[in-house]
Amino acid sequence: MTNAVSNQVPTSTSPGINRALTITGAVLAVSIAVWAYLVYSAPLDSVQGLIQKILYVHVPCWFAAYAGFVVTAVCGAFYLWKNDERFDRVAVAGAEVGVLFCTLGLVTGPIWAKGTWGHWWAWDPRLTVTLLLWFIYLAYLLLRSFTEGSTRTARFAAVYGIAGIAVIPLNYFAIQLFGGAAMHPNNLERGSLGTGMGWPFAAAVVTALIAMLHLVLLRVDLENKRIAADANAAEWDSDEDF
Amino acid sequence: MNALLAVLWKDLLTEWRSRDRAIAMLLFSMLMVVIFHFSLPGGATTATRAYAPGLLWVAYVFAALLGLGRSFAIELENDAIEGLARAPVDRGWVLLGKTIANLLILGFVQAVTACIFALVFEMDLLPIALELIGVVALGSIGLCSVGTFFAAIAVRTRLREVMLPLLALPFYTPVLIAASRATNALFETGSVPFEPIQFLIVTDASYLIVSFILSDFVLDE
Repeated sequence: MTNAVSNQVPTSTSPGINRALTITGAVLAVSIAVWAYLVYSAPLDSVQGLIQKILYVHVPCWFAAYAGFVVTAVCGAFYLWKNDERFDRVAVAGAEVGVLFCTLGLVTGPIWAKGTWGHWWAWDPRLTVTLLLWFIYLAYLLLRSFTEGSTRTARFAAVYGIAGIAVIPLNYFAIQLFGGAAMHPNNLERGSLGTGMGWPFAAAVVTALIAMLHLVLLRVDLENKRIAADANAAEWDSDEDF
Repeated sequence: MNALLAVLWKDLLTEWRSRDRAIAMLLFSMLMVVIFHFSLPGGATTATRAYAPGLLWVAYVFAALLGLGRSFAIELENDAIEGLARAPVDRGWVLLGKTIANLLILGFVQAVTACIFALVFEMDLLPIALELIGVVALGSIGLCSVGTFFAAIAVRTRLREVMLPLLALPFYTPVLIAASRATNALFETGSVPFEPIQFLIVTDASYLIVSFILSDFVLDE
């Protein structure tokens, strides 16, 4: 196949990203303050007590992690379709931020589980699928660092990123059909959230998604700068040859 | 379609002439039986027979990974992989040909490994041989389709032997779960439940279709 990649090398950080970063940064600061206040004033759970407040960190992390992985898969698909390197930069940002939030979710989960279920770990379908997803996107990042050549790296990563999202239902059904019983509640609307917990939870989800967006933009900006620096270095090298 | 047969014939002939991959995989899975024996409380005997289906599939998965890694590594010699990629045929057929060759080589290794398992765990596999072949074949199609696909990626990376298991194992879990459940039921009751078979067929079909469609992006010059 031909690899007519459009290599738009940015000379510096684009003003568009700068403006977006200012906006998301400001919104994130406000959102964190609102989230902290609402979580502090949220009622204590009558059964679980204080430990239930980890809900406002744990669950939003999953929203942000899955959003990051979806960004990676969608941008990977666009990269394969359009052959535009800019999609690859967003894809790698999505994967890194997704892995970060996924790790936070996997760390906060056992803390909550030990306090309520009595076990650090349960082979619950949702938990196991997410653990596998964490492995997939860590492998995605390793694949990127072990592949040589930028177009090949982008292409392989795009394929793996798409496959990683596509395998979620298969893993989920396999574990649900033949694996352990579900421990997580099925649905939040069916009353697993008590009175007064809705707003802090909503604020937490919004904050996590804004944080995810802000970090993705920061990472894209970093990737742009790295590529610009590489291009500058190559220019310097070719100047020295003369 | 001709490309599929050509690649399949080439891979099988190369393997027949050298026999290195099948022998390596076989020795590896035999060594694993020894390791399983020493890792089980009380050893691999009739008393620990309940572990046999799961361990059998662990041996299959690791043997498959070992063989699949070589499947594209041999193409790097004399840049044969470029010839494969530049051939004026659909790359999906090239990948499918390699998948079937891998499946047949793995099948041979699996048959011998199953006999060794039957020996050490003292199981009579003959009455359920046909069903077992069916379950193993369905599981192996899943392992080889997605495994060959990722082998094509891993061979182009540094540390390719490390990359293949990391890429493939998360995709092997659904296959492994369903196949070991089906084998477990087969060993215990002598018949295979429908659900895992149905699940394996769906998984195999999706892996085959996805790797066929995306083959253009992993086989390159």
